[in-house]
Amino acid sequence: MIEVREITRTFAGRGGLVRRGGVRALRGVSFTIPDHGAVSLIGESGCGKTTLGRILCGLEDFDGGDLVVDGQSLAALKPAQRAPYFRRIQMIHQDPYSALNPTRTIGQILADPLGLRARQLGKGGGWLADRRAELLGLVGLDPDYVLPRYPHMLSGGMRQRVVIARALTVDPEVLVADEAVSMIDVSLRLGILQLLRDLRDEVGVAVLFITHDVATARYIGDGGRLHVIYRGTVIEQGSTDTIIQHPVHPYTQCLLSAIPVLRGIESPAPARLAPTAPLDDRQEPPGCLFEPRCPLAAPECAQRQPPLSQLGGTAQEHACLFPKARPVVAVPAGLAAGQGD
Amino acid sequence: MTRITRFSRAAGPAGQTGRAGGPAGTAVAAGRAAAPEREGQLAGAAAVQVQDLTVAFSTPAGLLPAVSHVSLDLARGQITGLVGESGSGKSTLALTLLNAVPQPGQVTSGSVHIDGVGDVLGLHGPALRRARGARIGYVFQASQNSLNPLKQVGKQLLDLGRSHGERDLRGLLSKARRLLDDMGMDAERVLASFQHELSGGMRQRVGIVFALVLNAHVLILDEPTTALDMLTQASVMEIVRKVHAEHHLTTLIISHDVGVIGDLAHRMAVMYAGRIVEEGPTEAVLAGPRHPYTRGLLAAMPRITGDAGLATPLPGRPPDLASIPRQGCVFRDRCPLAMPECEQAEPPVTVTSDGRQFACYAAAGDAA
Repeated sequence: MIEVREITRTFAGRGGLVRRGGVRALRGVSFTIPDHGAVSLIGESGCGKTTLGRILCGLEDFDGGDLVVDGQSLAALKPAQRAPYFRRIQMIHQDPYSALNPTRTIGQILADPLGLRARQLGKGGGWLADRRAELLGLVGLDPDYVLPRYPHMLSGGMRQRVVIARALTVDPEVLVADEAVSMIDVSLRLGILQLLRDLRDEVGVAVLFITHDVATARYIGDGGRLHVIYRGTVIEQGSTDTIIQHPVHPYTQCLLSAIPVLRGIESPAPARLAPTAPLDDRQEPPGCLFEPRCPLAAPECAQRQPPLSQLGGTAQEHACLFPKARPVVAVPAGLAAGQGD
Repeated sequence: MTRITRFSRAAGPAGQTGRAGGPAGTAVAAGRAAAPEREGQLAGAAAVQVQDLTVAFSTPAGLLPAVSHVSLDLARGQITGLVGESGSGKSTLALTLLNAVPQPGQVTSGSVHIDGVGDVLGLHGPALRRARGARIGYVFQASQNSLNPLKQVGKQLLDLGRSHGERDLRGLLSKARRLLDDMGMDAERVLASFQHELSGGMRQRVGIVFALVLNAHVLILDEPTTALDMLTQASVMEIVRKVHAEHHLTTLIISHDVGVIGDLAHRMAVMYAGRIVEEGPTEAVLAGPRHPYTRGLLAAMPRITGDAGLATPLPGRPPDLASIPRQGCVFRDRCPLAMPECEQAEPPVTVTSDGRQFACYAAAGDAA
């Protein structure tokens, strides 16, 4: 189990051309990734979701807060001592075209981390080759076909499976999938999502799924939790199904409204919302961070920042002074026949 | 062929020669028998007519077609969506509408008639350059890469005007300002910006301004929302909808994302391995896909509605240029309905009375 506690991260300003002050990428984010759970982070570009994923993998430092891996606080450890804990959290990169070394065969790509693992575990002999074939089988690839080939000889979907197999070589507890299907051909996307779902059951690995496309978060399995991130804070969280069906924060409602509606099989929801302005992270509003863009902002919203609070006795939490469920998600055409359009 | 008076010097002879009016692919062309032959007689239905187009790339393995005997009409005033996966030939098809097929590609058959231009494939040199931009606006994929990083947007706009012999540069600038305002941007700031100072969504909008500022009446957008997040995608889609209506455009949107096409397009065409395998009104295609590839694509699409457990991945993988079958149906290896005749010859295009087309033996059997 991994606990993220009030993690903060500020990037220093570069001065001059772009901006002077620092960018507060994360302002205190907390959540838990349970063993073989599915946790999704959603938000627009620049909301801090990728930074969070990188911090979890040890690719980025955090300024404040703590990361607790199986009871061990990483803030209490020196950076050099953290490595064994970060082994348990592995990243699946967005772009399978640049994540694999083009000059090495898939067999070599997998042998490197497996060799390290074999030494750690004290394995020898044929273990490496067996494990390599086993991992490729697990991700749905034929070892005989894939092992001697170079990355460019494989399709995007197969490459992404190799990337997942490589992440699994070190027996991680959590896979961090940052936009892991956005570069994959549409007909192969669902296969990768279902692979992540199946790995939860078969290997017992947890998945942290980072995306701007809320729809894909539904496909990584049951019991998923969803955290909506806006400018480095969680503004709504709950079970994936609940948040998609009954979002109460206007930002979540904007995100869900933005999903294209398929003519002929879906009808647009009656209460679609859109932000009134694009994201401007140079201004620091005194009240709610979303207030300057919120289509429903009230005068009070500019006064104080609403804390994350529970929605009337449910497990759903939100950071809005005026939470209200609104129908923003498209409905299947058959069900909406009565509403007219 | 009607003379295009404005570009007559170059367009005249070139328009007549250099094109092999291919008799090949009659099966596909058969469905188009009613299409008028002369652009001067166009009845007003199609602003762009692609007929029996084949674009082949010369590779060490020989001449391989990326687009094979494609016929497609872009109905005037409508948004047509072209859906396809990577390698399906959709970008090659779109570039052919500009007569800009990259080397080592070559058009080996077919024609592209555009209102007021004629057969684009017959144009060369200055005439072609004037048709591009002034008649056909093209918004490139990854618009950040199509802007000059060393020049302010406004200066690039003036370059565009000059290269098209525009005398009234002041008028051009004020037109651009108006377009930028309409898209909800601070026009002065954008014109004075370098491309790295603009966000992805803003660059995409600048791309649309560049495509429209010379009064193009045909707008082609290649993957306009790829690499944008959901909120930016929604705002770009809204802008496309708006400029399409306000400028009375004929629009072609190319995307791998069925969602974008399904939301925006009036008609949609599905492309696979260089062929258009299905085409029809968007609602009808999405509600009742005929071709097994379209069906598979819809079933494999992560969606926000419906039962997530019912989604099924499409088996196999999309072919690349070298692995497209040379004979028979190009989809048969991934097709759940494959029959013996699918091995023999490419299925002909079936045209139904409700304005739909598809190329599949099994679906043709169902429809009969």
